[in-house]
Amino acid sequence: MTPDQIAEYLDHLRDAGERLKKRPIAEVLEILGAVLDGWRDPNSIWRRDLVDRLPTATGFTAPLISEGLGRALGGWTSDALRELAIRELGSLDAIDTASDRRISSFGTTAVLLAGSIPMPSLLALIAPLAVRSPVLAKAASRDPLTPHLVAQSIAEADEELGRCIQVVNFSADDESCICALLEADCICATGSDETIAAVRALVKPPRRLIADGHRLSVAAVVPPKERKDRVDLAERLALDIALWDQLGCLSPIAVFAVASEAAQMTALAEEIAVALATAEKKWPRGEIDPRTAHSIAQQRAEAELRRAAGRAVEIHVSDSTAWTVIVEDGPELRPAPLHRFVRVIPVPDAKQLLGAIQPLGAHLAAVAIEGFGEKTSQLAQALADLGASRVCLPGSLQSPPLDWRHGGRGVLAPLARFTDIEATS
Amino acid sequence: MSADPRRAEIDRRILEWMREPRWSYSEKRFEELALELFAFQFEHCEIYRRFCEARSQTPDDVKTWRQIPAVPTSAFKEVDLRCFPADETTHCFRTSGTSTDVRGTLYLDTLELYEASLLPTFRHFMYPEFLLPDDRAMIRVLAPSPTELPDSSLSHMFGVVVDALGEPNSDFDVENSELLFDRVLTLLVESAASEVPMTLCGTAFAFVHLIDHMAERGVLIGLPSASRIMETGGFKGRSREIPRAELYAELKRVLGISPERIINQYGMTELGSQFYDSVIRGPSEPRRKLGPPWARVVIVDPETGHEAATGQVGSIVVVDLANTGSVLSLQTGDLGRAILDGFEVIGREPGADARGCSIGADEILEMGSS
Repeated sequence: MTPDQIAEYLDHLRDAGERLKKRPIAEVLEILGAVLDGWRDPNSIWRRDLVDRLPTATGFTAPLISEGLGRALGGWTSDALRELAIRELGSLDAIDTASDRRISSFGTTAVLLAGSIPMPSLLALIAPLAVRSPVLAKAASRDPLTPHLVAQSIAEADEELGRCIQVVNFSADDESCICALLEADCICATGSDETIAAVRALVKPPRRLIADGHRLSVAAVVPPKERKDRVDLAERLALDIALWDQLGCLSPIAVFAVASEAAQMTALAEEIAVALATAEKKWPRGEIDPRTAHSIAQQRAEAELRRAAGRAVEIHVSDSTAWTVIVEDGPELRPAPLHRFVRVIPVPDAKQLLGAIQPLGAHLAAVAIEGFGEKTSQLAQALADLGASRVCLPGSLQSPPLDWRHGGRGVLAPLARFTDIEATS
Repeated sequence: MSADPRRAEIDRRILEWMREPRWSYSEKRFEELALELFAFQFEHCEIYRRFCEARSQTPDDVKTWRQIPAVPTSAFKEVDLRCFPADETTHCFRTSGTSTDVRGTLYLDTLELYEASLLPTFRHFMYPEFLLPDDRAMIRVLAPSPTELPDSSLSHMFGVVVDALGEPNSDFDVENSELLFDRVLTLLVESAASEVPMTLCGTAFAFVHLIDHMAERGVLIGLPSASRIMETGGFKGRSREIPRAELYAELKRVLGISPERIINQYGMTELGSQFYDSVIRGPSEPRRKLGPPWARVVIVDPETGHEAATGQVGSIVVVDLANTGSVLSLQTGDLGRAILDGFEVIGREPGADARGCSIGADEILEMGSS
């Protein structure tokens, strides 16, 4: 890939975008809705192709991918897309005809994808098209497959819409190609904070940049007293941890356990360990590199030493590095090696819970909460104030609704240009 | 010398080995001393004993030095690992501050083994041509002196080296945390003019600063061919980061010292012994890290905890008999791979990205904890 090729793609996309703008938005949404419905179907060729080929591309196991896609895409229907558009953009008929409010599309939108989880890529490519902006996407090095399959599925649904999306692969270190890509009118970038800072420095005004850096999620629960309830909660937490091998921004890296008695927390941790062992059988964790395995081993050994030093630390681990549950004795924040490594952190009461989560606030994506009874609403509000853009129940972290305002923004609205027209004839 | 007679006897035997004029890599001797030292540390360091017991790796279970349970070096930030009463502590070495405020601490009740280990090792790998005990070299150190940084094991090491192996005008060129560029450049020019070989020692980031300074001034110096460099440590955000091959190429360009005479030292606060690149001793052999007979490295598969297959990347575990007062078996934070009779340290691949957007968790947590 060369910068000239990227410039050429942008020119072609601009031309295709001019034709796209002339199509009614409802028609475009209908096509994209059909694409989503296709992806929801486990037997669609796109879905089957992804499940077959993604393990090689990303290291995730096929059972995990099947389960993760099934749970995440369940609610991503054509109706949900239409409702999302209406909620964020207004009446679809009015978009094409209204005289008091104009929604314009960007000539081109560049999408810099990151990570290896397919659903964010799917939505990142569909969203600009939904507001009738053609897309030039750079595939993530960790997942060179998904964006191409998504582009193909769109082209199959509608040839002209297919001409409005182009996927390119080049190294993230290739600054000349990045600069060429950033000539698009709107840029959506995801990646590390460092990557986002680098992109931000390169984007020339007046281009719009929509950026998402590091994000993480946690769970905060009151351990149930009844074993049956505890097992149920642990299974849902384990699901959230196991899906996508804890690599997504919606994967909880820690479970804050609000319990007056240590025994309740211990019992919950034991059940989480059992549930993770079961999850490993159903949806085995993917391969990890030596550095990750080393990090897990290191964190386990550190915990062993803290325990040996007399601290109330408990350790539940698989024989391999497949899963790890560490019960800590205090709220100190510690490294999170991910890949199904979770810390259970004791918190004496809900008030101190917020203090424990607060350092993560700026990077918080979602918090799964349960067991707070009548204080649930108040806690959710406080977590929102800390920075969480989603507060949900354990077990549903990995199934965000299509209209989840990731990063606290809308899904479609940031990709469009709104004009309020006050002058009339 | 330790007040504990059993430990004193172990120390004596290890010191005897360290002070022998010719090295012998005796497996049997290492095995005996390592297992004996492990048994001593198991008995005298309660935290380590509990750690081993929880792993069912007590002196009764451990049959070879390779099975001695290794503690992560990072644990020195949180737990006190020493085999002597706290009131017998004579020295504390602390890890350098990096991205967290918490620094690891190594407590020592004697520096005798530390110094007895470092000197012959430095001499063996840096000056293989030295034949006589009185042989000396012109050594300049681009790091703070032990007076300025008394809790730095690296500064202490350089201090011992300068005292024992340096010619009279050998000294430190960092004062009040400032690298004295003018003085260093003057000395380098003098070395080039007088044909007296120079040994430059220091941290990798200090050399980057020197290169940048020389580039700014447009200075290139051709040091005598027998000159050499020992660099150590990472960059830790204290200079621009450059791959080692590039660093060495730059050093050759500005100082005329070829990569075959630039040695990377692998050491850490928690270790009494150090490992050095093999290149001065064996310029035609693959570059690898080698150490003294009383310190061994095992590459461990982190997935299984067992020794890695030949050539496989794994965790670097060091078993160091110089660590008599703390714990002899340490799991470092580094990955490595065995090469011939030594090993190489595998750095983080530049541009390596993560499979998920949550990879920033460590950084965020570190920020949060600081």
